[in-house]
Amino acid sequence: MVTAAPILMDTPPSASAKSSAGKSPFSLPTVAVPSVSAPGGLAAPAGETLVDISHLDFFYQTSQALHDINLKIEAKKVTAFIGPSGCGKSTLLRCLNRMNDLIDGTRVARGTIKIHGVDIYQPDVDVIELRKRVGMVFQKSNPFPKSIYENITYGLRLQGLNDKAKLDAVVEKSLRGAALWDEVKDRLDSSGLGLSGGQQQRLCIARAIAVEPEVILMDEPCSALDPVATAKVEELIQELRERFTIVIVTHNMQQAARCSDTTAFFYLGKLIEFAATRDIFTNPANAQTEAYVSGRFG
Amino acid sequence: MSEPNSTAAPAAFAIQKRRLRLLGLTLDDTIKAFFGGNAVVAIVVLTLITIFLLREGLGFFAQNSQSLRVYRQAGLEYVDFIRAEVDDHTALTRYLSDLRLRQLTDLTEVKKLSLEDANAALTKFDEFADKFSGTVDPLRSMLSDLTEQATAIKTKFIVTGDKKEERRQLLAEGKTAEAAAVQIEETDFAAELKPLVATLPAFKEGNREFGRALLATLDGAPVMPAPELAARMEKLKQLTRDYVAGLPAVEHALETWDYARPIPAWKAVSSFVFGRQWLTASFWQDWYGVIPLFIGSLMVSIVALVLAVPLGVGAAIYINQIASLREQRIIKPCIEFISAIPSVVLGFFGIAVLGQALRALSQVSWLSWMPGFPYSERLNILTAGCLLALIAVPTIFTLAEDALNNVPRAFKEASFALGASRLQTIVKIIVPASLSGIISAVLLGLGRVVGETMVVLLCAGNRIAIPDFTAGLSVVTQPVHTMTGIIAQEMGEVVRGSIHYRALFVVGLVLFALSLLINYVAQGIVRKYRISIG
Amino acid sequence: MSAPAVHRFQSQPNAARRSERAAFWLFRAATYLVLACGLGVFGTIFFKGAGTVFKAEAPFINTTFFTDAPESLYIFEFEGKKYEMGDRAFRAFKEKHPAAAKVKSESYVYSAGGIFPCIVGTVLLVVGSMTIALVLGVCAAIYLNEYARDGLFIRFVRLAILNLAGVPSIVFGLFGFGMFVIYFGWNVSLLAGWFTLAFMVLPVVITASEESLKAVPKGFREGSLALGATKWQTIRKNVVPYALPGILTSSILGIARVAGETAPIMFTAAYVVRDKLPWEVEKAGEFLFQGVMALPYHIYVVSSKIPQNDYTERVQYGTAFVFLLVVALIAASSILLRNHLRSRYKW
Repeated sequence: MVTAAPILMDTPPSASAKSSAGKSPFSLPTVAVPSVSAPGGLAAPAGETLVDISHLDFFYQTSQALHDINLKIEAKKVTAFIGPSGCGKSTLLRCLNRMNDLIDGTRVARGTIKIHGVDIYQPDVDVIELRKRVGMVFQKSNPFPKSIYENITYGLRLQGLNDKAKLDAVVEKSLRGAALWDEVKDRLDSSGLGLSGGQQQRLCIARAIAVEPEVILMDEPCSALDPVATAKVEELIQELRERFTIVIVTHNMQQAARCSDTTAFFYLGKLIEFAATRDIFTNPANAQTEAYVSGRFG
Repeated sequence: MSEPNSTAAPAAFAIQKRRLRLLGLTLDDTIKAFFGGNAVVAIVVLTLITIFLLREGLGFFAQNSQSLRVYRQAGLEYVDFIRAEVDDHTALTRYLSDLRLRQLTDLTEVKKLSLEDANAALTKFDEFADKFSGTVDPLRSMLSDLTEQATAIKTKFIVTGDKKEERRQLLAEGKTAEAAAVQIEETDFAAELKPLVATLPAFKEGNREFGRALLATLDGAPVMPAPELAARMEKLKQLTRDYVAGLPAVEHALETWDYARPIPAWKAVSSFVFGRQWLTASFWQDWYGVIPLFIGSLMVSIVALVLAVPLGVGAAIYINQIASLREQRIIKPCIEFISAIPSVVLGFFGIAVLGQALRALSQVSWLSWMPGFPYSERLNILTAGCLLALIAVPTIFTLAEDALNNVPRAFKEASFALGASRLQTIVKIIVPASLSGIISAVLLGLGRVVGETMVVLLCAGNRIAIPDFTAGLSVVTQPVHTMTGIIAQEMGEVVRGSIHYRALFVVGLVLFALSLLINYVAQGIVRKYRISIG
Repeated sequence: MSAPAVHRFQSQPNAARRSERAAFWLFRAATYLVLACGLGVFGTIFFKGAGTVFKAEAPFINTTFFTDAPESLYIFEFEGKKYEMGDRAFRAFKEKHPAAAKVKSESYVYSAGGIFPCIVGTVLLVVGSMTIALVLGVCAAIYLNEYARDGLFIRFVRLAILNLAGVPSIVFGLFGFGMFVIYFGWNVSLLAGWFTLAFMVLPVVITASEESLKAVPKGFREGSLALGATKWQTIRKNVVPYALPGILTSSILGIARVAGETAPIMFTAAYVVRDKLPWEVEKAGEFLFQGVMALPYHIYVVSSKIPQNDYTERVQYGTAFVFLLVVALIAASSILLRNHLRSRYKW
């Protein structure tokens, strides 16, 4: 931890990071050129609690979507949320970077979500800064109708980075990181919409990691993909876990079993069981969990 | 620092707000406020329209009230009682000349007489008719005398008003001496009216004499050659007797008439809303009654909708349900392109081509069974209605097509799966399901037609009168004037601030309210009968 | 056993089928009747107007009609020959032939010369009012679609827009006259016409812009926000550019309406006749406060205020033809622009 900080300090602080960059060894520059040896979000070492959800109640208008959720997500691990449709797993995921703010009439009625100990629902929290650190990949791949290159650099350009050489480096690193580089390196200027479904989703992952978040939220990233593309994305998730904390929502229990370290099972807006993936699938403590993972309902 | 979740952590995970603020707003808030301000423009404009129409228009009612008061005080109302009596007699005379025309046709076409012989055969009738119409002459001359007197009183009053205004302006400019020099003679209506009212006994005398003379002429009525004509003659006799019986009522009205009776405030409104005359710049009395204009607008709109609804809805059904994909792709933009034809061009087309063509068509002999055919007025309700239909069709078509499109595919498929034919599916499933949309399309089409100006201004004939509904369906071949047309035509010529000017703004207000009402009803229908696709 | 001539599902003519066919023909007839009417109007005006606008010899276009101001037409016989000439030409002719000074002539106003000032005026009116309407309308649409949350206020705004769309154009004319011409004291001027027309097309622009903003997939917004973009950055970089083709399409509708309306400019911006061209003003500040001639109003004037005969017909049909052409050209150029943008942004 302490050794990582100086490495980060060597990276050029961007304009928006200036104010916070010098204060503490833990400060995160908003722009950090990713490097394989010293990946970005190094604030929390593997295994330590990064996201701490406690007693969370969440409402859509008047209907309660989440009931008293308590969950600790560990850094540098893959956490899977499973459960039948409408159980609240996607809602919880979208709470983590406050994407739910965009939907009318949603509110957190009780409880806290702390990332690095900071309650992200405090009024003084800047949602934009939060989302820079908690990236997201959506169910339906949504590359922008721009070139592949522009798709990747979109987030960095927003933060004012315009240095061509640096952007080039980020593009290559992100695409390599998303295992897409070899497939698209010759056509970076063609539209991101020209890629196949699986490639589009990996482009979205590359776009997300380009801004070096600490956490990547994945909302059923493979539900629209064929098995081959799914396998590639899953493989990618395994590589990414070295550098990022990943939370993945999935319908596919095999996928959860294959790629996650810990699994949370939700049912009707309640967290039923949260344990190491191996335990959930082989030795669930709860009867409902057992019924679900063995395919008897859901 | 080995404990990341310690108190130092908040600083580490720096997601607190630290954006530039101005007056407590971030840049994003400011941008949002800017866009929000633009969104309010629609409300602002609507409010401003209301305000400015009211600002210019509301004064009308005070001025109209004043105008009605002068009408009474200067004795114009008194004279108009007599005028109405004389006019009624004229109507009887007109009936008589109509009878003569029918007789003439009967003689020339049925009895095959030459025109000269026919006229000769009618000598007796003509004598009767002359006597009949001549009976009113003494009254008529009395009426013209009284008219002059009343006009003189009114003029005097208006001159006084002008002088007052002149003095007020002079005082406002500080020219006290000149103001004092302005001679103002207050109008004493009681005194002025005295000679006018003093004619009452003479009138009574004349009136009775007139009644007797009229009844006496009836005895000399010639015998009619055909039973149908005889029946008409009988009717005339009956009408005349009724008329004579009504004469004492006029005398009574004149006796009880009092120049000082106040005009109730609602009269100023009701004389506009229910007034059957729009008469401006007249030497006698101006009337601002919206009824003829309203009826004109209504008639033109009805004709337009009768033509446009079947065409627009039919075309929408054809394009949406029946046409091939290629036909759809070509025809849809074409129909929508028709809506791009500026209305003034259509109006010009009406003057230059359609009016002419329709009249020629009406004179084709084998079409003479059509109501109102043949006709001679080139510009009339029908001409304007046809062109307005062309304006309404694209609106109705587009909206109705949308409504048909919104019917869920599942309805159609379910119907087909039950063995219904395409026509059955359209009639029984698709159209009923989209009926609310189609009705609101028709209503919005109506809104466009009622508000359309240039076509009616150029093609409706611009005769300010309530069309003669006794003519039956052929009423559509009569010229009318419309609410939109009157504004466009007279706005440029009126004096700013005059009662006429304000009356036009009130007509604008009526149009505005009408358009809001149509919109409201259309929206209501859509909301109420929306199909729930669950 | 031979194969049956009729199998179970063989289609057979029957009454229901015949009535269906008849009904379909009725619908088809309605559709083509509408098209025929539209074509009839277009055809007549194009056919007759082309005679004024084009001519048989090079350069095949009647340039004076496009470059001259309207003037009176004089028809007279002089020394056994029949002449038709415009006002200026007639005066020059009289100077050349003093004997012609007393010649008897028939005159028809506006029937000679061209319609250049009207074209200029219409272009100025359209450009100005559309600029105002687009700025206001697109901004309002952005607010309604991107920022606004459903509530009483928004429902009120939408209601206002809907109602504004139904207000007759003559009422806009009255309003513009009452507010801009009288209350603001702008008199009959370009500026008054701009605002009157802009307010009139505002609902069209707002509704259509909102529609094209809605068509931009939600994923673009979410994706951008998830990358840490602010709302404004998202709208500016990832929403508006993709909605632009649709917004421009919407402006076609607006432009066609603005260019075609006569009633709103009758009392706010249009002059029956004006000798000076709009740029011939003494001070630059007067530019906005001058009335202009406009094509639609000119058509109204020449079709209602002068008699119809062979001599006046030329200018009537010619003006209508040019007017239709101008409207069509504006629409076509917007369509081209839209196609160009659409090929750039595709999703």
